Amino acid sequence: MTEQLAPMKGTLDTLVLKALSWEPMHGFEITTWLEGQSGGALGIDDSALYQALDRMEERGLIKAEWGLTENNRRARYYRMTTAGRAHLRAEAARWTRYADVMSRILAITSRTT
Amino acid sequence: MKPRRGIRAGIRRLFRLPPDRRDGIEAEVGDQIDLHLDLRTEQLIAQGLPPDAARVEAVRRFGPLDRSRSTLISSASRREHRMQLRDTFDALGQDLRYAVRALRKQPGFTAAVILTLGLGIGANATMFGVVDRLLLRGPAHLREPGDAGQIYLAQRFRGEERFDNNIAYQRYLDIRDNTGSFSQIVAFFNSKLVIGSGAEARQVQIGLASGNLWAFFGVRPAIGRFFTEEEDRIPSGAQVAVLGHAYWRTAHAGDPGVIGKTLIIGRTTYTIIGVAPAGFSGMSMVPVTAFIPITAGAADLLPQRAGRPPWYQGYNFTWMEMVARRKPGVSTEAANTDLTAAFRRSLAAEREARPSSVPPIDSVRPRGVFSSIIFDRGPKARASARVTTWLGGVSLLVLLVACANVASLLLARAIQRRREVAVRIALGVSRARLIRYLLTESVLLAAGGAVLAIVIAQWAGSALHTLLLPDFEWGHMIADRRVLLFTAAAALAAGVTTGVAPALQHVGADLTGALKSGGREGGLRRTRLRSSLIALQGGISVILLIGAGLFVRSLHNARSIDLGFDADRLLHVGLSMRGVTLDMPRQLALFDGVKERAKTLPEVQTAASTISVPFWITWTTGISSPNVDSTRLRDDYYANAISPEYFETIGSPILRGRGFTVSDDSTSPKVAVMSESMAREIWANENPLGKCIELADETSGCHTVVGVVGDVVRGFAEGTAPHLYLSWAQNPSRNGGLFVRTRGRASDVKEAVRRGLQPLMPGMAYVDVNVVEEFVDPEMRPWRLGATMFTLFGALALVLAAVGLFSVISYNVSQRTHELGVRLALGAGASDVLRLVLREGLRITIVGMMLGVGVALLAGRFLTPLLFSVSPRDPLIFGIVIVTLLVAAVGATLMPALRASRVNPNVALRSD
Repeated sequence: MTEQLAPMKGTLDTLVLKALSWEPMHGFEITTWLEGQSGGALGIDDSALYQALDRMEERGLIKAEWGLTENNRRARYYRMTTAGRAHLRAEAARWTRYADVMSRILAITSRTT
Repeated sequence: MKPRRGIRAGIRRLFRLPPDRRDGIEAEVGDQIDLHLDLRTEQLIAQGLPPDAARVEAVRRFGPLDRSRSTLISSASRREHRMQLRDTFDALGQDLRYAVRALRKQPGFTAAVILTLGLGIGANATMFGVVDRLLLRGPAHLREPGDAGQIYLAQRFRGEERFDNNIAYQRYLDIRDNTGSFSQIVAFFNSKLVIGSGAEARQVQIGLASGNLWAFFGVRPAIGRFFTEEEDRIPSGAQVAVLGHAYWRTAHAGDPGVIGKTLIIGRTTYTIIGVAPAGFSGMSMVPVTAFIPITAGAADLLPQRAGRPPWYQGYNFTWMEMVARRKPGVSTEAANTDLTAAFRRSLAAEREARPSSVPPIDSVRPRGVFSSIIFDRGPKARASARVTTWLGGVSLLVLLVACANVASLLLARAIQRRREVAVRIALGVSRARLIRYLLTESVLLAAGGAVLAIVIAQWAGSALHTLLLPDFEWGHMIADRRVLLFTAAAALAAGVTTGVAPALQHVGADLTGALKSGGREGGLRRTRLRSSLIALQGGISVILLIGAGLFVRSLHNARSIDLGFDADRLLHVGLSMRGVTLDMPRQLALFDGVKERAKTLPEVQTAASTISVPFWITWTTGISSPNVDSTRLRDDYYANAISPEYFETIGSPILRGRGFTVSDDSTSPKVAVMSESMAREIWANENPLGKCIELADETSGCHTVVGVVGDVVRGFAEGTAPHLYLSWAQNPSRNGGLFVRTRGRASDVKEAVRRGLQPLMPGMAYVDVNVVEEFVDPEMRPWRLGATMFTLFGALALVLAAVGLFSVISYNVSQRTHELGVRLALGAGASDVLRLVLREGLRITIVGMMLGVGVALLAGRFLTPLLFSVSPRDPLIFGIVIVTLLVAAVGATLMPALRASRVNPNVALRSD
């Protein structure tokens, strides 16, 4: 396993919203989804995830409801709200541009003016 | 992986499932974390870790477990709390909307309830406004009012303790200097004085006070400064004035440059040094134009007379009043003991100076009393204030009647809605929610009533003020925070009180019974409750109407009393010299000139000189007589010095001998006339004519009695009293005035008389003309107040009770249509049915009436001191009230009874 990356400041919310963009999930599902999709590159602190979920619920980006897992265990499912979807769209666009700019600049090998 | 959902929060709200509580939240957060740890452990085990290690790793990966648990719990409960609050408001809003809709569907019912509550609450708001100003609200701006109080000095005369708040300045100094319980003792005197000069001159309220007034209140000037104790020194203080805030705003447009300007008050010019804070009126109940040092004011008002002590010496002239502030930790008892000791010392000093005129100290049992700062709560409370207190209590009864009536209306409505409500309960609406809804409805109705009440209070308050209680300042009810708060509280109380009974009816209702039956059955118990409410209303009406009767009779008795003189068409003319000092002969010539001019005016029939005025100005003197045992004599007799036209002018008959004539002048032998009761008291059946009397404190020798006249009433409290008359020419005074018998109505010609006489007055002096009936009138005010308000309240209660009775009987008749139909079908006559229904109405009424009469009999004796020659158990009044109530009851019952007797058995039996 390569060294795990901690999500950069302010990005965890966006990642969680992305995870929730198809269907509601409970906390552990979100973690494993993110871990799976990142190929294990992202190391998310579980407590940080729950703080993020709580914060986003407070901001109205997601909504929580109690439901049952397929093994019939009570779990709290998080669902993205319309506001959350808009937030995700905006953040994703910003990140993509930012990452583009970053990688373009970092890819430069010789100083030209 | 489609999760199966739990109960949505929205659905939970819809069905009123109990909301999550905090321990629920804790458990939920715990569950969430536990699930996460479990799943992580399972995942790690699946990856090959041994179970123990997997668990440890899962916890490690989670991070700070306790801290995140507590943050999650607190933010979740915040959210939950917010949601509950929103739920409550949503529900309240829903209830309100529903209530408004329901009430709008029944405009008649709604209007009746709002009107009833509006009148009930309005009566209370009005009376609260008055009681608050008179008895609850102390002087404005007074710091720590609990430690402040007014000082009264009590002495016993002829077995009766008399309280004095008016005292001489010398007495004030004695009390102030010989007590240790008070941080300040303030001397004050509020009076109408003339300010300005020439055309600008007018009479305004002036506050004379000692220099410690400001410290006593704990106020700071709005601008400038207050006068100090150094500026308030005998004999004449400093001529400085502090303006009242309102006067400063109106007369000087709030100009700070007013400091240093001058103001003429009386005949003295004062320099303005400051302005009092807004709303400050010292110890005056009306706004004060200016405050001046009491020493400066007294030097102006009470000029030095030759051969008399200056105003600040001696105890005879009782004018000013005292208020004081207790030192911390001094009890009222200790303060009273201290005051009593100082008062005894002061009396001893007075007795030393004038042994003959002061009775032995122990015989009068002197007492100093530190009492409420609010005058009408002290020992000299005015009768109007006491009547007002009663009316305040009585208005609560009116509200009680209104509430009983509304509760009864709501009950009737509740019974009509039984089926609807039962359906709701069956459908799962919780009873708590239902009660909340019903209370929302009644509080909403009460709120409507409160709005109406404020309008009524605003209108009734000003009517009450001008007609019945004119002698104190009045604000706007509508703008008064305390009145508004009281009204809101009364409305809330009324709303809850009236809503509770019907709400409980519903909750206790038998569900299946209500669903199965029609609108008819099961109403009996509720009707009984309504009947008791009606009986209660009847009882209260009786109490109020008896009160009304007692005051009406008092007023009637006072009006029809023979005053012994004819107050009709009588003016009193006072001569205000305003600092113009004439020597005695010129002063007397002025008096004569004014009197003679008055007689020539076309509006005037006759005029006479007088010193004292019944109901207003009193002069008393002691007498002695040779051969008369001094135990037969009183300490004081009312006395007057009058010109020959006097008895003719006031319309008092000469019974024996003669009145005075022009020849009874300063050169002829001294003569006296006395009233019938005085002559009888002293000489019994002997002929008083030719007897000799000597005046106390005078060395003028014998006055020979030459005539006996009729008694006059000096005031309603005393009635007629022995009265002595001396000849004006033999006892001239600077303080005299005139009685003028007019040809037209006194109030109509008052101004003409003033205009006719004013040109004779020198300099700034002026004539002050008053209608004598207006002196008599204020004494009747308490009875007029009681008679008017009790009658209004009583009539209101009676109408409400009658309407209530009508609706209960109508309702019962409609409920019993079936039964009555059976009776008629079985051969009962229409008159039997009529009697049946009437009897029911009368039964309720008589129960209430007996209750009311009982309470009135018990409570009456507390009212006795406020009545005028009428017994609180006056059988005539009780009789009239009982008959009135019975007539009202029959009236209210007759219509439904007639309807019952015309029931068609065929229709009645077929209907539900």
